Order: sequence, then structure tokens, then C-alpha cells
Amino acid sequence: MSLKKRFSAGDFVVFAEVHTPKGVDISDLVANARRLKGRVDAVIIPDMDNGIMQMSSLAGGMLMRQQGLEAVIHVYGRDRNRLALQGDILAAHVLGIQNLLVVRGEEMANGDHREAKPVDDLDELAILKMIRSLQEGVDLAGFELKGAPDLTTGCAIAPFADDAMMEKEIEAARQKVAAGAQFVMTPPIFDMAFYSELVKKLKPLNVPVVATVFLLKNVGMARYMSINDPSTRMSEEIINRIRKAPDREVECVRIAGEMAASLKKVTQGIKISTLGWEHRLPAILESAGL
Amino acid sequence: MITAEQKPMEEIIASVAPFNSILLVGCNECVTVCAAGGRKEVGLLASALQLHFFKQGKTLDIKEITLERQCDPEYVEELVNSVDRVDAVLSMACGCGVQTIAARYKEKLVFPAVNTKFMGASERQGVWSERCQGCGDCVLGITGGVCPIARCSKRLMNGPCGGSTRGKCEISQDVDCAWQLIWDRMKALGIEKRYEEVMEAKDWRTSRDGGPRKIVREDLAS
Repeated sequence: MSLKKRFSAGDFVVFAEVHTPKGVDISDLVANARRLKGRVDAVIIPDMDNGIMQMSSLAGGMLMRQQGLEAVIHVYGRDRNRLALQGDILAAHVLGIQNLLVVRGEEMANGDHREAKPVDDLDELAILKMIRSLQEGVDLAGFELKGAPDLTTGCAIAPFADDAMMEKEIEAARQKVAAGAQFVMTPPIFDMAFYSELVKKLKPLNVPVVATVFLLKNVGMARYMSINDPSTRMSEEIINRIRKAPDREVECVRIAGEMAASLKKVTQGIKISTLGWEHRLPAILESAGL
Repeated sequence: MITAEQKPMEEIIASVAPFNSILLVGCNECVTVCAAGGRKEVGLLASALQLHFFKQGKTLDIKEITLERQCDPEYVEELVNSVDRVDAVLSMACGCGVQTIAARYKEKLVFPAVNTKFMGASERQGVWSERCQGCGDCVLGITGGVCPIARCSKRLMNGPCGGSTRGKCEISQDVDCAWQLIWDRMKALGIEKRYEEVMEAKDWRTSRDGGPRKIVREDLAS
């Protein structure tokens, strides 16, 4: 059943995030896809995630389709102008990719091609409206399309460090839904009580909320988040749990699994993000009982 | 200099229509030179606005003032007495001036009366053309004093493209092909050998693409 149908049927939806390689060796990508087949509802393929040049999400999405997996590809305005965005969205539909996730691209200054010129022709709201227009058979210049794409489009809530920023992001999400987003995806948060509250606050948007579960890899990563990224709401408890565990990697998987299981009770979907540790996805799903 | 053009009258009228009194602020620098927002234009705009509102049976109180430089807090401070006595400020300076006023007088609404256009030079009386995009890493020394970033439609670093015909750009007969100008100039200077040197992909970090920019001169900063 397609993502669109699952969402409208009120089913719980599990997404896994899988990254394309920096190069043309797709063996890991395909192997990970095979591991996920039948375990998740759709695979999310970021594009130049974190501003790192890698194989485009369009190719990644198509490879997922070849493996019999439903794909969601990232769309954002940093690297493409309105012509390129529209062209790629039409291409995505034709290649069997039915789902898009409109995100905010990482700053070029934080990527690996810092000398590049960012495009930034359209922001997230403009992209969402553009996608809606394409589905209505008209491009952004007002010209009629020969065949309109049919897509399910989500939007992302950017990480927020405090309550004021959270309110702004919720308001931004409301605007994105009004512009055509059919589901919203949250950033990773490690405080489950707070996470549940956030999901409640997003309920009035009347679209499925997909919560991100992020796989920690070690104590250092958790500690780094705790010090440098207040949006994650990393706790000392989690840091200590990993630190004291006999097998820290297994403990990280267990934490992600617990979070997934706990979020299942409050959201309509979860996305599991492993940032390169896609081979751990089946273990997380197992741990979560999914 | 920074060039600007006055906004359409309807837009200016719409921005000040809700108010009974405004401060109309000109600038003695670039916008005076390009005849968009100097003392003379302040006077003309004030008269036009008053006439428009008078016809509608409304009196708009307009205080006119032209500062030496609106992008300099030192001169913007001169508005401190008059700004309190008006409902809003209408600035005829470039975007730098508008923002300097907005940053200093936080409680007051500020509207731009001009559209800031580009960094340009005067070609002849009444004609200004874009000459610089402020890329932060000037190449004029190797392109014969003609900027390919500001003046080539495609910003080619190794031009020209196939759209160059008889010295003109394919987008318009009124636009010179920057790379034709570069070639002509190199030839005239006897340095056409340089044309064969391929320019590498540009590092755009020094441009606006690297984020909002700032210059800090430690030797001058207070």
C-alpha cells in the first residue's frame, strides 16, 4: 500500500533514512535496501545532506524503487533553482518516486564545497506551493504541463533550541501545511516527555506527524549534542547509560529502539535516522518491536 | 556608487497613506548623484505627496530633511528630535540608509521610497550601468579592467559564450558582451596572451554567497 493510502488509513508508518554514496559504488546502498525490504514502509533519501556532495537523491530514490521499496526524496532550494527543482520533480514522478520531503538545506558554509554559490531561488514555502501547482498541471511560470505528477509531500520542522523557537517552528509548520504539506517531520529529540508534548502541539495541524529517531553512535556524540545542540534535549541519563553499558553500540541501538517504541504510542509515524549506520536499522526495528 | 530609482508613486502613497505626519529623509551621497533621493528629490516627492493627499481632502504633514550620509549612525543621530514628532519615516536613501534609521529608531516604522538597484558607474548624463557585484575577490586585474561577474549575463569566468554577436549579448542589443570588451581591451593593451589562461572555478565565499559580510578594521574600530 502506498504511503498516501497508509497515511489516510491512519496506519502507523515507519521510515528509514538511507544515504547515497559519495561516489558510484552503490553496493552498500543496495545491500541496506535489501535489509529493509518488508521492514519499513518507505525509505527517505536525503540529497546533499549536511551540504556534503554525494549521489543525488533522485538516483537514490530510483534505486530504492528498483529494490521494491517506496521512496521519499529530499527537496530544497540551496542547490537548484525553480527550473531544476521542477524538472527533477517531474523526473521523480516518472521514475516511480511518489513522495517528497521539503527541507531546509544546510548552510553551504557547513558543507564540504564551501566555495560553492548557493542558489536559494525558492524557500520551503515557495517549493511547497510549486509542487502543488505542478500537481494541478501548471508550472511556476504558468505554463500547462503535459501530464501532471501525483505526489505525497511532507515538510520538516527545523531543530529548535527553546520554547520561543518552537512556537515559531510550529507556526512555520502551519504555513507549510497550508502551502500543501501532507505530513510533518520533527527533528530528533531525546527527551521523550518533551517529544510527546511537541507531538500534541502539532496535532491541530491535522496532518500525520512523523517523529525522528536518531541513532547515537557513541558517548562522544551524545556528549557533543548535550554541549553544542540544545535542540536535541540530550540528557545526562542517556549519556551515562551509554557510558556504563558493556556494549555501547548495542546500548545505542537499544535506546533508539525504545524511543521508536515510545513514539509509536503518540505519533502516526517515525523516521529512523542512522547517519551512515544503515546496517543497524534492522536491529533498531527489532529492538522497537516493529 | 550605489544606484537607486524612485519607487512607483502608488507604492509610496500606499505606504504613507495610513499616517498623518511623516519624516521624509534624503541622503547627500550616492542617491543624490544618481538623482533618486537627494535634497532636490526630497522636495519634489514631498510636493507630489502633499498634492495627492490634498486632492483627497487629507493633509499629510511632511517634514523634509536630507542627511549627509544615511548609512552612518553619526548623521542618522541628527533625526533624534524630529523623529518623535512624526508617525513614520520615509527614506529616500539606499537600503543601507533605510536600515540604519530602522536600527536606530526601533519604535518607528520606516519605509523605503526608492528601490536600490546596483553598484554602478555613470556612462553619460542620466545613464548608469552595473559595474560591480562586490564579489570580494576582484579579478579586474586579469580581465583587462572589465568585470565578467557584473557584466557578463552568464557570469562566465571563461567567455564568451555562443550568444556573443558583433560585440553584443544575446539577451539584448543594448547589452555589450563583457567578454568581447575584455578581449578588445586585452588586445589594445597587448596582453591577449592572458586570454588563454583558464580561470578556475570561482570561490564564492568572499561574495554574498558566503553569508552576510562584515569588515572589521581593528586599527579603526572603537
